[in-house]
Amino acid sequence: MPSLFDKSWSPYVAGIAIGLLQIPAFLMIETALGASSSYVTVGAAIAGWLDPALLRIDYVARHVATSAKNLWQVAMVIGIAIGAFVSMKMSGARRQPISPIWARALGSPSAARRYAVAFGAGFLMLFGARIADGCTSGHGLSGLAQLSVGSTVAVAAMFAGGIVTAMLALRRI
Amino acid sequence: MPAIALAILTGLLMGIVFGFALEKSRVFEPGMIVGQMQLRNFIMLKVFLTAVATGALVLAVLNGFGAVKLQPKAALYAADVVGGLVLGVGIALAGACPGTTLAQIGVGYRDALFTLVGGLFGAIAFSYAQPWLDKALIGTGPKLIFSDLLQIPYWQGAIGMAAVIAVILFLMERARSWRDDLGTDNDGNDVKAIGASRGRPFPAE
Repeated sequence: MPSLFDKSWSPYVAGIAIGLLQIPAFLMIETALGASSSYVTVGAAIAGWLDPALLRIDYVARHVATSAKNLWQVAMVIGIAIGAFVSMKMSGARRQPISPIWARALGSPSAARRYAVAFGAGFLMLFGARIADGCTSGHGLSGLAQLSVGSTVAVAAMFAGGIVTAMLALRRI
Repeated sequence: MPAIALAILTGLLMGIVFGFALEKSRVFEPGMIVGQMQLRNFIMLKVFLTAVATGALVLAVLNGFGAVKLQPKAALYAADVVGGLVLGVGIALAGACPGTTLAQIGVGYRDALFTLVGGLFGAIAFSYAQPWLDKALIGTGPKLIFSDLLQIPYWQGAIGMAAVIAVILFLMERARSWRDDLGTDNDGNDVKAIGASRGRPFPAE
């Protein structure tokens, strides 16, 4: 029986827990599980404070509106950080400030280099996710579960981009 | 309780469960995500496909009995391909997805803060470009789902897909157990390529 104090769970137990989250998402929020639009809600709210003209774009206005769906997703991604923190504390796992794989994958132990790559990677991740209108959660978990044709294309492209990049641009970890 | 406050509370509680599952399965580790993309570690695919199949079964019941409407995204092929590829490049270099970035921040990975800020800038840059990109690339499309193309009810298609995923997971697990994918410190950092550790108790050396 998996315990909250375990260092790791079977991927099948964790996957079932994540899949069951579609129940409250559909029943209470009338939406599917997703994560990437929260970046628009938060990012555009901050940028709109400096440049109010941004808020006049329809797409932005929809994402920064004080709606249940927008704020639900922002709350959920904050909850992810809290849940991961509590889980780590309960299992007594210890983490280094940067995962040791990066020194191998990037061929350099430099923290500055890793931070620069992480910033650029985050930028591409969200720019791409917003073009595709979804990420690993919205297109992946929710789109595939709903048998969506477009999401299947997006997920195939996502893995193709990820595999080619990890094979060619990163060293073997 | 006002609807918005209830939505925020629901989101927070769902996120905590999500964060727990991401941390316990170790799928949020950069070693797991980069390892998956280098095809030497299959924890990410195992968690992902299990969650897809579970979601499909849940929705087969909820939608089959008329309790919920499906919310599929429109099929926008050019945007799905271009956006998916750019997203994939970002996932490999971040060692994270937009959601797991937050789990990495929760456990104290400092580089994940840069991923988050980069992500916010990416979302802002897209917001400025959206009116133009919408005309040039994204456009509009139908909300197509495979079960409609096959002219069967959604619940039948969803159960069928979950069954296919279950067979795939069974074969993947037989090729290599998830315990071998975890590595000695449960972070996937020292997992050998598939085949190399096969048939040997882990850790091998």
